[in-house]
Amino acid sequence: MYRRKRKILSGDNMKKIKKKDIGKLLSKWQADFTVFTPSRATGVARMEEWDGKDTDFLTWYRNTVIPPKNNILPNMEAMFRFQKDEAGYQLEPVTPEQKQIIFGIRPCDARALTIIDMVFKDTYEDRYYLTRRQNTVLVGLGCTNPYESCFCTSLGIHPAQSADVDLMLTDIGNELLIEEITDKGKELLGKSSGLTDASSNDEDSAKQSRETAYQKVTRKLDTTGIADKLQASFEDKDFWEKVAAKCITCGICTFLCPTCYCFDINDEISKGSGARFRNWDSCSFSLYTKMPAENPREEKWQRVRQKVCHKYEFYPRLFDTIACTGCGRCIRFCPVNWDITQTLESVPEHSAV
Amino acid sequence: MSQDAEWEPKILGFLCRWCSYAGADLAGTSRKKYPPNVRIIKIPCSGRVDPLLILKALRMGFDGVLVSGCHPGDCHYQTGNYRARRRIAITKKFLEYIGVEPQRVQASWVSASEGDKWSQVVADVTREIKEIGPNNLFADE
Amino acid sequence: MNDIESKLRTEARNLLEQGKVNAIIGFAPGSLKFTTTPLITGDKEDTDRLVINPFIANNLSVFLHEIEGPVGIVAKGCDARSIVSLIQDNQLAREDVFILGIPCPGVIDLRKVEKLVGRDRDEIDDITRDNDRVTVAVGGENKEFSITEVLRDDCLSCESPAPKEYDLLLGEDNVVVGDRELSRSHIRELESLPPAERWEFWKNEFSRCIRCYACRQVCPACFCERCFVEESEPQWISPLPRWQDNLVFQATRVIHVAGRCVDCGECERACPVNIPLRSLTGKMDEIVEELFGYKAGTDKDAPPLMTAYVPEEAEDFIR
Repeated sequence: MYRRKRKILSGDNMKKIKKKDIGKLLSKWQADFTVFTPSRATGVARMEEWDGKDTDFLTWYRNTVIPPKNNILPNMEAMFRFQKDEAGYQLEPVTPEQKQIIFGIRPCDARALTIIDMVFKDTYEDRYYLTRRQNTVLVGLGCTNPYESCFCTSLGIHPAQSADVDLMLTDIGNELLIEEITDKGKELLGKSSGLTDASSNDEDSAKQSRETAYQKVTRKLDTTGIADKLQASFEDKDFWEKVAAKCITCGICTFLCPTCYCFDINDEISKGSGARFRNWDSCSFSLYTKMPAENPREEKWQRVRQKVCHKYEFYPRLFDTIACTGCGRCIRFCPVNWDITQTLESVPEHSAV
Repeated sequence: MSQDAEWEPKILGFLCRWCSYAGADLAGTSRKKYPPNVRIIKIPCSGRVDPLLILKALRMGFDGVLVSGCHPGDCHYQTGNYRARRRIAITKKFLEYIGVEPQRVQASWVSASEGDKWSQVVADVTREIKEIGPNNLFADE
Repeated sequence: MNDIESKLRTEARNLLEQGKVNAIIGFAPGSLKFTTTPLITGDKEDTDRLVINPFIANNLSVFLHEIEGPVGIVAKGCDARSIVSLIQDNQLAREDVFILGIPCPGVIDLRKVEKLVGRDRDEIDDITRDNDRVTVAVGGENKEFSITEVLRDDCLSCESPAPKEYDLLLGEDNVVVGDRELSRSHIRELESLPPAERWEFWKNEFSRCIRCYACRQVCPACFCERCFVEESEPQWISPLPRWQDNLVFQATRVIHVAGRCVDCGECERACPVNIPLRSLTGKMDEIVEELFGYKAGTDKDAPPLMTAYVPEEAEDFIR
């Protein structure tokens, strides 16, 4: 199981900030970065560009609906533009340039980015994803109020601690304790204001707050030997048909999942000019694997099996980590309450293939 | 589109090939004078028109859509135009509800012998759409 | 366990035992609070898990096309209308479905409850209904609401809460019809705006559509094997989630299901980004009734709306 070693750079010189002063800090950062904070202004909770004044999100924010992966791997992005002229087609690459801060990202969503980094850095380096990743500073915020659907703790993730962010904030009542996790975080702290030194009392409060959050994650999943179990059950059509029976094959689970990364590519051209785009795609869709000759996942049980095995068997075999962070969005938003933890718990014991 | 010319609406016409297209052809052979704003797509029957086509035309930027078919009772395929009638009726009302100007979706019955009527329909439709201005519904800010 | 539940479990078990159906489709308790989940099973022991409560939200008829009949299905008023609509469209044979009708007093809209109490659903301790009062136990308090404040909007406008088409009705057909106008208040609000503002409203709503197609997938009326958005030769609309194309997708979808949509509200419930889709489907429902006097799913022998015609019909909009 993948575990990232935690480095705390500032050691005994932790900082803190009053919640009511967060606005000042974000304003300071806004001078050099595009700052994203949790927001419901568009009608759904997601990371939006900070409007310059709202800090109310600290009162209602538990987690966003759209995961922060949207800021690194957007729902839609242009890859390059092209223009036809006498010489042929002129291509103009699109380079994400924006320096951005994602403020308030939860440990599950931050770990998700670390997990999908692996696939975007594998054999081929995805410059769009990696440039955005490089240009992003993650300011994590520990949970205080996990959902009933959360199960991060079963995947080795702590709801209020993270080594996958650049700065880690812990809620200690009226204030937020700030820890430096990476050099990038240290650099950002240097561009901050309104911070005060934290005392050992504050660190104790933080420990308490973290422990409380941890205990609040009540949903559990035993992942012991899950990859092998899934492999042994791969051909068990009866099991998978039963599991998939109520799935309606929409894209909600995959689109809201912070570790899903599949995309489609579409070219748009009009009167000799256009662009190549990529947009989120879902392995749940019936046409996902359709090819001229055949569609190997025409049946819905094949697609559901694929989705579960990708996260809990194939990805771990390739990258040594389960591709799920227990954020629970798939459970919360599935229109038929299809629950991956229930599925995984019911994988039958078959003798190893 | 040149800036100094006055704006002219671009209207997409779906004409059934048995009646309306022939009627439009007759208008031509009779040398009727009428505005050139309707771009014609010949379809087998007005019943071919899926509301999707109307929406796509508006999405592409056409200022108006005109569906023209045989008179009720005269459809070459018996009932195609009846279907078209119902579809256009609900499409018009629905689009109006979401904020599309109702004049942008037009319909007519033009038979093969009604060259006169065709030229009149085009003139009327063009004038109506000209009055409401270009289709900026789908423009980005 | 309530009376209807015990009757349902017995009947469902019998149907399977006697081989009258291959499978039962109903509701089982969900894995989250105040949630139920579809239960699709051929095993008679599973029938003990069937439940009937104020949270049986799904329109189960969406599963009928993929299960070899005959099938026993739990149907609320709206679900039964969807079944009738599918029969009209030749998607289903009447003899292939055994309708276990549930006189439905309405499904509770959790989003409404959350808004009223200011807490998320998993922070609520209990929601109980007693006729037309609903009590929400949250934060140590009991908050009371009238049913019209917390029922799903489509339930408020439902004209046939008890199925009119059924094989067995598990209860009395004495459920009260709701308040139609109250449930359509958002539509009325939109109609009072000038067209340009209405368009702006929808433009704004569809800016957050992520094209997950949950609206289409939960809808029993969307039974096309290949949806128009899945065509690439030609590509009718772009798959990219721009507001323009999101809006064209939904508008086209709603027009396509006109006459089949029974206003069950599942599309709106399923939408993860809270787009008020019923303010579109509900309006289409009204248009169809206004123009043709047609109500979806009320007469299984009637020809489907969009394939029917009357030679003399209003055509004042046609030159």
